[in-house]
Amino acid sequence: MSQEPTIRSRVLRAIGFRNASAIWVLVVIVVVFSITIPETFLAARTWTSLLDTQVVVAITALALVIPLAAGSFNLAVGAQVGVSSMMVGWMLVSIGLPVVPAIGLTLAASALIGLLMGLVIVRFHIDSFIASLGFSSLLAALVTFMSGGRQILGMPSELVDFGTARVVIFTYPFLILIALALVCWHVLERTPLGRRIYATGGNLEAARLAGIRTNRIIVGTLVACGLLSGVAGVLVTARLGNSDPTIGPAYLIPAFTAAFLGSTQFKGGRFNIWGTLLSVYVLAAGVKGLQLSGAPTWIPDAFNGIALLVAVGLASSARLGGRPSLFERLRHRRVTAQPLEPLQQKDA
Amino acid sequence: MSDHLLEVRSLSKAFGDNYALRDVSLTVASGEIVALLGHNGSGKSTLVKVLSGVYQADSGDVSWGDAERPTSLHVVHQNLGLIGGLSIAENIDLATSHRPGWIVPTRRGKERREVRDRLRLFGLDIDVDTPVGRLTAAQQSIVAIARAFQMGGSGRNVLVLDEPTAALHGEEATLLHDAVKAAAAAGCGVIYISHRLPEVVDLADRAIVLKDGEVVAEKDRGSFDQSDLVRIIAGGEPPKHHASTSAASDDVRLKVSDLYAPSIRGADFEVRRGEVLGVAGLVGSGMEALNGTLFGATTAASGTIKVDGRLVGASAAQAVDAGVAFVPADRRLRGSIGQFSARENLTLTSHSGLLSRLGAIRISRERTEATSWMGRVRVRPLGAAEQRFDLFSGGNQQKIVLAKWLRTSPGVILLDEPTQGVDVGAQTEIYRLISEAADEGAAVVVCSSDSKELASLCDRVIVFRDGVISGQYSGARLTESALVAATIADGAAVPKEGVSS
Repeated sequence: MSQEPTIRSRVLRAIGFRNASAIWVLVVIVVVFSITIPETFLAARTWTSLLDTQVVVAITALALVIPLAAGSFNLAVGAQVGVSSMMVGWMLVSIGLPVVPAIGLTLAASALIGLLMGLVIVRFHIDSFIASLGFSSLLAALVTFMSGGRQILGMPSELVDFGTARVVIFTYPFLILIALALVCWHVLERTPLGRRIYATGGNLEAARLAGIRTNRIIVGTLVACGLLSGVAGVLVTARLGNSDPTIGPAYLIPAFTAAFLGSTQFKGGRFNIWGTLLSVYVLAAGVKGLQLSGAPTWIPDAFNGIALLVAVGLASSARLGGRPSLFERLRHRRVTAQPLEPLQQKDA
Repeated sequence: MSDHLLEVRSLSKAFGDNYALRDVSLTVASGEIVALLGHNGSGKSTLVKVLSGVYQADSGDVSWGDAERPTSLHVVHQNLGLIGGLSIAENIDLATSHRPGWIVPTRRGKERREVRDRLRLFGLDIDVDTPVGRLTAAQQSIVAIARAFQMGGSGRNVLVLDEPTAALHGEEATLLHDAVKAAAAAGCGVIYISHRLPEVVDLADRAIVLKDGEVVAEKDRGSFDQSDLVRIIAGGEPPKHHASTSAASDDVRLKVSDLYAPSIRGADFEVRRGEVLGVAGLVGSGMEALNGTLFGATTAASGTIKVDGRLVGASAAQAVDAGVAFVPADRRLRGSIGQFSARENLTLTSHSGLLSRLGAIRISRERTEATSWMGRVRVRPLGAAEQRFDLFSGGNQQKIVLAKWLRTSPGVILLDEPTQGVDVGAQTEIYRLISEAADEGAAVVVCSSDSKELASLCDRVIVFRDGVISGQYSGARLTESALVAATIADGAAVPKEGVSS
């Protein structure tokens, strides 16, 4: 076999269905809706607004990818977005801080939440699944405390302007998303730190025995996740012009869907940035097309759910996945729990 | 046909060109305890797997008693297969068939009474509602044996016990021996696999020694003692792999003082530059826990570990910083990231020299580095740096794990069972790599349950027994039979040399 694949074969492999099914799904979506509803689906405005409206989901998904890469679940990520969104509004309106310190403090608090969560997971050996679930509830309480259950209105115009200003066709929030994605991609894929994060997620014990300080990695990824979800939360408030106490948790499922769907793209089972970003927009394009076609309101949720199940199912049945799929993990569990061996025997 | 519960005639089984079993014959009669002895890889577990139907024999046949009263076989593995969170009664109930209806409630009272009576038969008088996880190791083994009986019902049974006392000491082992005797007294045939010769001499009606898949000896009770068995098991001396660069320097690289850990009760030793130190011992002796403790993978209870004068042992990261490498026995679970490529695994310990000025890994340089190391340690297929680690064969995986550490030029290399599950060709190459690393100045510690490996690879071997160093062998006294005797016999069986207890 040739050791150096040709450029052509590498490109073909890179965009092949097994490696990047979402691209092909996107092609199908575009073709189908271009035929059925060309005048609305192909309008430039549809696409520019699509890029902008998905920014918060996309940043939340990026935030999620980082701890997932290190093997930690963060079910509190939606609540973290909610807290940050509420906190920045609370500081600006209820406390009356200027914009820059309010945003700075909000981001610092978001990172602190991540730090606390990481320390709880590492120090008290609480499974990240459970710890983040607990934090999710705590953060919901914090949101209610700050908001009293009501929206905070009357955001200063600097913040609202920032949330809606454009460079050519791209809004500021979208540019922030791209910048964050570039940074995350660089760190995860190109640096020794990223390699250690993936190693920690791939095999915690082996990573530790290779001299990696896995506890620091786990805490660090949750701090980064907190910081990014803080950015997402500030952008929610900036784009809406108010702080809504109910908004955070709604981001959890789309972000998870995109992160898992993204893990089936490009990197053969590893959580990764570009796959996640692509997934956010493929899902959004599909939902948008359905909405423009006049589909009933329950369709988008169903679409997201099916997309996740099909994508992950296909990936694990093709055994692309590095991270064992949920199915494989359950199967493994069943095997180990089984009483050993055929103790019964045959006759001659 | 006969009064044998089990008769094996001329059984052979090959994997590829290697015979795992060759023309093996044996019988087990009712009430008889037959000990099965031999090295790792001598064919014991293959035999058990053929008997239990996991493998098909290539030739030969097995008969199970007579037609009207067939024998059933029960295997109690080292991993007992009990569920820790369930009670004794519940665990045993799992083995009970509940026809006609799985949904019909179990008759708890009756069931628990039966279980209690059965356990008493095996010398265990205990509340059957106790969760199995709270029992001692010996008690758990007895529960497993009782469960095997539950499946057999009142028919004719052969019980296979695979190293049942490996994790047991003193009193505990005696408890189990009594249970085994009780099983035999109840008419059961027992195949008893063990590495511990004293208990074999004491317990077995017959001892069968396997070597390279063949029965090399079959002795009845009273016609053998421990030293006979040692001689038969050890056989000829293997060639030396590490011709110790005789003038082993006086430069101590690893110094361990007064080390206490869960299964280690006080250990003091030093390893010098260029020296390959072997550590022998049975499972539970402290041997298998030593390297992990030295590396800081599990922290010691007390004691000091110094590498080139630097204190280590608190964490793996600290040890790596001090120049210590650790190749764990389970390379899949502890030694590697399965879904990483060979390249990513190889460079995980250090990325220095591979980075661009901005701190990014230069993939092309990394690939060159990985490919060159894979060539040096002769990983097949050649140039497969991008192949996922878990797709390599066992021997190649081990070479990659070794290369990962050799790249960092470690001062101390700790290896656990370095050639476990590795083919013979890869084994020789791994020995070569270990010797070369020592020649280049590393201090090497090899913990192994393979006496032949230790005798051929090491300059000096220390033997662990019940958590303490019970002997030390080097030079001409370092022979396989000496190590076999020191680890599995009770000591008096063979001339002891250089023992400093």
